[in-house]
Amino acid sequence: MSPPSLCAASCSAPLRACPTSLPRSRRAAASVSASRAAAAAVSDDLVLRIAEQLEDSASSSPLLDPLRSASALSLLSTPWPTRRSNEAFRFTDISYLRSLPISLPSQTPSSAPAPPPSSDLGSSHIRFSDGLLVSATGAHAAALADLPPGQARDRAAAALAASAEFAHRDLFYDFNAVGSSDVAVVYVPEGAKMTDDPVHISFAYSGSDGASMMMSNPRVLVIAEKGAEVAIVEEHFGIGEEDDGACYWANPVVDIVVEEGARVVHSYVQRQSSAAAHTKWTTVQQNTSSKYEFVEVSTGARLNRHNLHIQQLGPETITELSTFHLTSQNKQIHDLHSRLILDHPRGYSRQLHKMIACGTGNGIFDGNIKVNRYAQQTDAGQQTKCLLLSPKAVVNVKPNLQIIADDVKCTHGAAISGDLDPNELFYFQARGVDVKTATDALLFSFGAQVINRIPFKPVEQKALAQLKELLTLSRQSN
Amino acid sequence: MAPPFAAAAVSSSSPLFSPSSSRPILRRQLPLTSISLRPRRLSLAASAAAAESAGRLLLEVRGLTASVKETGQQILKGVDLTIHEGEVHAIMGKNGSGKSTLTKVLVGHPHYEVTGGTILFKGENLIDMEPEERSLAGLFMSFQAPIEIPGVSNYDFLLMALNARREKNGLPALGPLEFYSVVSQKVEALKMEPKILDRNVNEGFSGGERKRNEILQLSVVGADLALLDEIDSGLDVDALEDVAHAVNGLLSPQNSVLMITHYQRLLDLIKPSYVHIMESGKIVKTGDSSLASHINEGGFKSIATFV
Repeated sequence: MSPPSLCAASCSAPLRACPTSLPRSRRAAASVSASRAAAAAVSDDLVLRIAEQLEDSASSSPLLDPLRSASALSLLSTPWPTRRSNEAFRFTDISYLRSLPISLPSQTPSSAPAPPPSSDLGSSHIRFSDGLLVSATGAHAAALADLPPGQARDRAAAALAASAEFAHRDLFYDFNAVGSSDVAVVYVPEGAKMTDDPVHISFAYSGSDGASMMMSNPRVLVIAEKGAEVAIVEEHFGIGEEDDGACYWANPVVDIVVEEGARVVHSYVQRQSSAAAHTKWTTVQQNTSSKYEFVEVSTGARLNRHNLHIQQLGPETITELSTFHLTSQNKQIHDLHSRLILDHPRGYSRQLHKMIACGTGNGIFDGNIKVNRYAQQTDAGQQTKCLLLSPKAVVNVKPNLQIIADDVKCTHGAAISGDLDPNELFYFQARGVDVKTATDALLFSFGAQVINRIPFKPVEQKALAQLKELLTLSRQSN
Repeated sequence: MAPPFAAAAVSSSSPLFSPSSSRPILRRQLPLTSISLRPRRLSLAASAAAAESAGRLLLEVRGLTASVKETGQQILKGVDLTIHEGEVHAIMGKNGSGKSTLTKVLVGHPHYEVTGGTILFKGENLIDMEPEERSLAGLFMSFQAPIEIPGVSNYDFLLMALNARREKNGLPALGPLEFYSVVSQKVEALKMEPKILDRNVNEGFSGGERKRNEILQLSVVGADLALLDEIDSGLDVDALEDVAHAVNGLLSPQNSVLMITHYQRLLDLIKPSYVHIMESGKIVKTGDSSLASHINEGGFKSIATFV
């Protein structure tokens, strides 16, 4: 490793010329003059070290290169975020990511553990194992590299090129762009309707030896063309010898393009191992009269950060977001940063975020809704409800609506409670049900209210069963 | 139904038959002398008579005082009430007289604190029991404003309530499938939509649906003494008949009902054996159903003036 006397400013020029060679140009830059080295303050040694590792491991792909080089460039001037320096991480302690050196999975997917047998959810499956795309089957699912020349390939290339320009990117988004080896593409052509037959995307992760944290960067691109309707079920889970303690860093990105009049039904379940770190980006672009329905259930990972970014590209969009986070183990951190940007008239959005924090868990919610000048007659509603089940649990809630348009209807509410509603408890008691049973039922229903919105029975039932199990465990440990 | 007033002997030696009680009659010239006097005598005589003629003693409230826990404001100021098996009681009274508080205190609502007096239910001290124990002992209160429980389906709620009871009685818990045949009949009897079972408890229910839902719970879990707090409010005439029909169907020589109402029409459908008038945290008058019709015509003033 070369000394940290680096220069981001000087690097930018050679990088543009030779975009995929971050480590080499960096080494060259390391020998440049001291005056340039003064600018090194903006680049971060740890960030560069990880970026180098990622870049060395990733194979070149012409469709991914514009995105990769843009992210590589961006990483040169991205410091490692700290709670003090970065508003987006003000409440989120990500130091867990620095606790172990990063390792990367080997490039041969065959050596990766086989994912568990799939459920019979639908006819299309995409499987990732430690960030590597193992298989993509079904009418509308394919690996980016396998896409034949034609409409789908062109559209995917355009979307990836657009991602290179993504203005709200952060460190994790760029790490993924630099480190993802292949992209799974769900392409639904114009008018195709397949919401009853969801594309099941499973992400399996296994830990490494324990001396390092294995990082994986899976990436999925979903394109629903004009009038198309598609459902995707995204599941992230750990598989490992020790079942629960596998240590790894999952850094997935899912980009979704919803074209005019299209509809995307998105279910997302995150039940990573308890020692895992999970940093996730979901970006959605919604065109005129499109509909995006999102349900999230996150219960796993020691550190979980989800950036959910939705950008409106045309009028009359409908956006429905329902999310549930449960921190059931000590020191667990669950963070949802959602941003909905409305730039066009008559958008409609409903957001419900619920979280339960047990033990010394920490739940964070930053929910931003921007209603810009031309987004007149927007109807936006946001609600967050938090339950703190122990004196040491912490939640940080920051609902924020930025409204510039003057003819809109916007509501938001935040409720944080240390106890269940005594009236609800009494109603159970008045019917002969004791407090403990009633408490269990009410806690379960608190999460079930979100989970019940998952439109696919097997996924819903599995998430409900897991919720029950985790609540029982956390009650026993109290 | 016990004919409570048949045995009501008129006694001129009643200590309540004091000269003061005749004053208002003279002043207001009410043509209701017989009605207003009879209950006075009955309040003593009827209870003695009931003890002989009616079933086992179910509820005995003596000198009950209770206050709001948070503010300490006293609501109940010495309530006496005796209910035997098979009797139907009605409590009437002005808003704020303590009717609802009485039923809530009886089922152990945490909002209130008992500061004095005794409550015996089937001979056991109710005050020492948790709300769920009171329910399992056979006491049921229909809520005047039923609580919404988002995320818990009506079906699951009813099943939990029934299984709590079965467990207490040493019966095996019913599975969700077995329960269906039990509950669907009850739903039908109340002329409710079967869909009501899949909906979350009271969430988005209309006023009428909530009241029916309370009675559905009563019909599923059963009760020795049902406290029905204004089940007639918010119900249209047809709905009221359905609810009253269901309550009458639950009545047996062993079951009793105590209802709170402001209106005669409920009492026409569920015939009370006793009508109590509550005022300022006390039961000030007890009589038969004619007392209710008297109030219906003359308002509470016409009764109060005799006290």
